[in-house]
Amino acid sequence: MRRRAFLATLAAALTPRLTWADVGSPVFLAAGKRDEDHFLHGLSAAGESLFRIPLPARGHAAAAHPTLAEAVAFARRPGTFALVIDCATGAVRHRLTPPDGMQFNGHGAYSGDGSLLMTSEVVAETSEGRIGLWDTARYTRLTDWPSHGIGPHEIRRLSDGRLAVANGGIRTDPVDRRKLNLPDMRPNLALLSEDGALLDRIDLPDLRQNSIRHLALSGDSIAFAMQWEGDPSEPVPQLGLWTPGSPPRLCPPPEAEAFAMQGYAGSVAATRDRILVTSPRGGALMLFDAKGRHIATHHRADLCGAASTQGTFTVTDGSGAVWTAEDRGLSPLSRADTRWDNHLVALG
Amino acid sequence: MPLMPPPATPRLPRPREGRRRFGGLFAALVALALPAFAIADTAAVVTDHARPGFAAFATAAEALAAVDSCAPDDLRPAFQAAWDAWTGVAHLSLGPAEDGGRGLAVLFWPDPKGAGWKAQRALLAAGPADLTPETMAGLSVAARGLPALERLLYPAEPLAADPCPLIRATARDMARTAQDLARDWQGFGDLLLSAGQPGNTRFLSPAEATQALFTQLVSGLESLADRRIGRPLGSFDKPRPDLAEARAAGRSQRNILLSLIALRDLAQKLSPDSPQTLAAFDRAIALAETLHDPDLSGIAQPAGRLKLDILQQAVRATRDSAIAEIGPALGVGLGFNALDGD
Repeated sequence: MRRRAFLATLAAALTPRLTWADVGSPVFLAAGKRDEDHFLHGLSAAGESLFRIPLPARGHAAAAHPTLAEAVAFARRPGTFALVIDCATGAVRHRLTPPDGMQFNGHGAYSGDGSLLMTSEVVAETSEGRIGLWDTARYTRLTDWPSHGIGPHEIRRLSDGRLAVANGGIRTDPVDRRKLNLPDMRPNLALLSEDGALLDRIDLPDLRQNSIRHLALSGDSIAFAMQWEGDPSEPVPQLGLWTPGSPPRLCPPPEAEAFAMQGYAGSVAATRDRILVTSPRGGALMLFDAKGRHIATHHRADLCGAASTQGTFTVTDGSGAVWTAEDRGLSPLSRADTRWDNHLVALG
Repeated sequence: MPLMPPPATPRLPRPREGRRRFGGLFAALVALALPAFAIADTAAVVTDHARPGFAAFATAAEALAAVDSCAPDDLRPAFQAAWDAWTGVAHLSLGPAEDGGRGLAVLFWPDPKGAGWKAQRALLAAGPADLTPETMAGLSVAARGLPALERLLYPAEPLAADPCPLIRATARDMARTAQDLARDWQGFGDLLLSAGQPGNTRFLSPAEATQALFTQLVSGLESLADRRIGRPLGSFDKPRPDLAEARAAGRSQRNILLSLIALRDLAQKLSPDSPQTLAAFDRAIALAETLHDPDLSGIAQPAGRLKLDILQQAVRATRDSAIAEIGPALGVGLGFNALDGD
């Protein structure tokens, strides 16, 4: 290691690790692009950027440490790196690289106390899913677990420590993301114990081409959002609800709006009594109640990022606008020259 | 597919005005310094394309509902005229047409599982008592609109019951939907025209209105290539003329042709100075005119299928031209998240 790099690393290691309050108490993290540059932003509840940190390439999602002002920014699939960013200084504290032959798959989650980071990963050649486990003291790789499916995407930690894994079911080319197994894909939603044991798993035998990709927690249920890979003329639901121990329930919109999402859900978020699903392709979002009944559809081009905080939904779009979403409509919060990327991550 | 503007760039007056006011050298320097986006003619699209198109459909749908006969021969001319009129605006799926699925209630196609006919058979069996306007509006969208009327006016097999009450109710329902669409395009058009003004939260800038209309152009061309042409085209070994749109009414080819003409009009109104795109449209239109295959039966033969295949390529080339030429000219590109896939 060159002397300067060594000193920089040493300095970074010695910097005290600050909390989210120290960086202005952002409420969300979001990746975005301005001109040709990519950044990770901390956003206030009003949708204003409190800080921005350069990223080397287009970001996908981030995972935020529960207490320390520290976040992991994941590259888009297939990801060969993830950056642990000190959100106070903008310094890259660690650069995570998956083991040889593995790729990050866009999402991650911290344990409740922040001591562990879990990352969704695939074996590059086969898209077989793994959950990588990292010790966050120095972000060293501990081990990995099977994800019990192909192509895991979002993972969510439940409050009791269990981990929900959306195994999207799609085998992709390790280099160009080409989808290789659409006729016989078989996504599933798996529930793992705190130590990685498979507790339960469901799939959708009648909708095997509906890739389960994104997750939100709604009370005792896991809300899962899907992307349809079958005939676009078939109306299929984009949202399902699963209370472990029961069969999953699908949540179709009214027939007249069956194609509003164009078969594609980009993000899902939940409050105590609502679930929100976005579709950048459809330029729409849908709100459902906690039982999965459709409440409203709102239209806006390229909506994708969605998160909830204190019972309120915030969504972002590719034109740089941040919105509050309620049953009665969308209200603009802020607008910037940053194209907001796929996901909005709520802190805390 | 939603599209989005690039990062905000200072806007210039139209280049032509610039030249007139400041002389060639200054304009040339400015042009070198900043990308000059043409200003999309949102007003022309709203006032000369969308509003008159929806008004024409409302008139045609009303004329169909007003036909005082249930004889298919008496109804078919007005029915064909209504479908012609719808094809002039079918690509404008944003705004009024997406509210409550009204666009689908006019044209639910394709219907791979035959949901519409199933629902209609049940209605025919139940008799006329249930066919109030409210019932019709509450029906499955698959059982309403143009394809529903087509199944009654051009039945594949003799109908089990007198279709007259259902024909009347369906035509009346569609006329009402058409009227609602035309009415709501007044307000929605105002939103497009006032993009970026205080209080307009639908379109936060003029570029967003441009983006929305450009989206309609591109997705209209995609839908034409992928569905209206692509579904019957099938594969080389297995063409599927039976999947063609409006086959019973003998207007599969006509729908393709009229869609192209309508989309060309949208492109031309949105961005008149688009020679490559308009030339690509003209080529596709010429190919569509010379298919000589009204219900696409001819694609069962290799020579006929080849002609449709070439037309599909021409439509896709038109889409590519629009993206390459009109997008940059207006300063809008393809959707950041919509295209990403994740």
